[in-house]
Amino acid sequence: MTIREKGYANWEGETTASPFRWLPIFLTGVRSVFRKKFSKLLFSLTISPFLVFLIAIYVTTKPELKILAGLIKQLKSDAMIFQSFYTNEFLIFMLVVVSIFSGADLISADLRFKALPLYFSRPLSKADYLAGKMTVILFYLLLFTLIPGLLLLVFKIIFTGRMAVSFSLLAAIAIFPIIVALFFGSLTLALSILSANSKLIKILIFLVYIFSDNIARVLKNIFHNDLFYLFSIPKNVYQLGAFLFRTGEKWNYPPGYSALLMAVLTLVFISLLYQKIRKAEASA
Amino acid sequence: MNILMDKEIIYLEDVSFRYGDVQAIDHVSLKLEPGIYGLLGPNGAGKTTLMKILLGFLRPQNGKGVILGHDLALQHKQIRAGIGYMPESDCLIPGMDAVSLTSYLGQLSGMPRQESIKRAHDVLYYVGLEESRYRQAETYSSGMKQRLKLAQALVHDPRLLLLDEPTSGMDPGGRREMLELIKDISRKGTMDIIISSHLLPDIETTCQQVLIMNRGRIVAQERIHDLNREQFNSFEVQITGNLESFLRELREHDCLMEENEKGYYRIRLPLTMTARFLFQTAYRIKAQIRYFKKSQSTLEDAFMKAIGEDG
Repeated sequence: MTIREKGYANWEGETTASPFRWLPIFLTGVRSVFRKKFSKLLFSLTISPFLVFLIAIYVTTKPELKILAGLIKQLKSDAMIFQSFYTNEFLIFMLVVVSIFSGADLISADLRFKALPLYFSRPLSKADYLAGKMTVILFYLLLFTLIPGLLLLVFKIIFTGRMAVSFSLLAAIAIFPIIVALFFGSLTLALSILSANSKLIKILIFLVYIFSDNIARVLKNIFHNDLFYLFSIPKNVYQLGAFLFRTGEKWNYPPGYSALLMAVLTLVFISLLYQKIRKAEASA
Repeated sequence: MNILMDKEIIYLEDVSFRYGDVQAIDHVSLKLEPGIYGLLGPNGAGKTTLMKILLGFLRPQNGKGVILGHDLALQHKQIRAGIGYMPESDCLIPGMDAVSLTSYLGQLSGMPRQESIKRAHDVLYYVGLEESRYRQAETYSSGMKQRLKLAQALVHDPRLLLLDEPTSGMDPGGRREMLELIKDISRKGTMDIIISSHLLPDIETTCQQVLIMNRGRIVAQERIHDLNREQFNSFEVQITGNLESFLRELREHDCLMEENEKGYYRIRLPLTMTARFLFQTAYRIKAQIRYFKKSQSTLEDAFMKAIGEDG
């Protein structure tokens, strides 16, 4: 007998009020990103710096390899190795691409398909919704930064055979990717909520990244002041690395400025996002 | 906190909401006991705003309320956990088939994953989407999307179902089936329902009570059965000759009239006037009544009366 023949059937189970209401959004988002076309190719490219640095770490533990003496000298300290890994231009660029790939349409597609009333008619707060979306981007960004960073540390210990890791290095290895992921994640979502057109959002995120760097270079060249590099996303990420790993500033201003700027911008993006989602809920 | 009330599922006291200068909800007080209610009103009457307030999408600037025993101002999550909402707009979550979408929204309501998948199959079967439940929701027709929206509203078996224009965009067969489903759900008696619709026959065939809204206020709240008693003396007539003067004469005597697709006029006379008035007027101004039929009083009459009295 079909259900319609026997009428509406009640569900006998009980719903639970979990503090992790956002978890289904996160899991569904992660799965849908992984199923996207070209995801494997993109992820393979993004993981390539890890493989290069794995070899580099191995080489630094073999001083007898004179042919690589230059590299060994460049990666003279553990802090330098990890800072170089986290702030190399290719990885930062790929993190922007991963942010676009995993996060540009997270909210804009919901706007396009008018999905917000479906979410907000559930026992889900605005913070739950944003947490679910944000954790999707954080997952992929940390997958290509924090996880390889920790793996590199483990391999370093294995190659050298010594458990000599300072707390400050360990903290820097863990904190740097989290700050960077929160920055890129909040920037991506703050732009994603601006329009229901996902393609436009993708282009916008890319342009913000490219233009921030170009504008910073132009201003720096005009005014001969390194402080203008604070406008540049990649240079701020580099300076954040210099600040956390204490490897010394590359440009003529304290790297702490970049760390502070990125933290403030992240809070601003999250605050804007929250206000926008409040408006979107009211008009849902 | 569960606020104890006598029997009401919805209790609103002096609730108001403004969009800028527009008073969308104007000091509404409401007590609804369990049942199935129709929410009627012209465009801009405040029906959708009222639904958004019940769901906590909008915070009233004045007044207080208790929905399903929970405070309207403070307990949105608890209220939403007990509500199934079928929005008016064509909304869906992209990249999902009907089973995934329904189960996903069940999980967001707090259902365990496995249970939500099983229940998604059940409700999709119930609403008549069994054959196409693995199709991407984006490819659905308007009617199928309406069924899917009903399925997602039912998946967690809510205590209160809010249906916003549930038959919108459906063909006559689909509309009939949707109304049958709503009636079937209400027959079970475990779920209270509020249907917002501009289609009076939908309300008339499914609801026990009707709330009529106009200009942000509830202007009538009565049982459908009581509303079906005579509100007017209604007639269907065809007029030839001096039509304009005839209609003007009727308007001056507070009669309501509307032309139907056949070119006939439905005329509602106050209960103090009889058909004789129509014939006398026609005779006086030299119009001819070519067709005449007494009509049954309907919800539409009650609606017109409530809106008319409200000005």
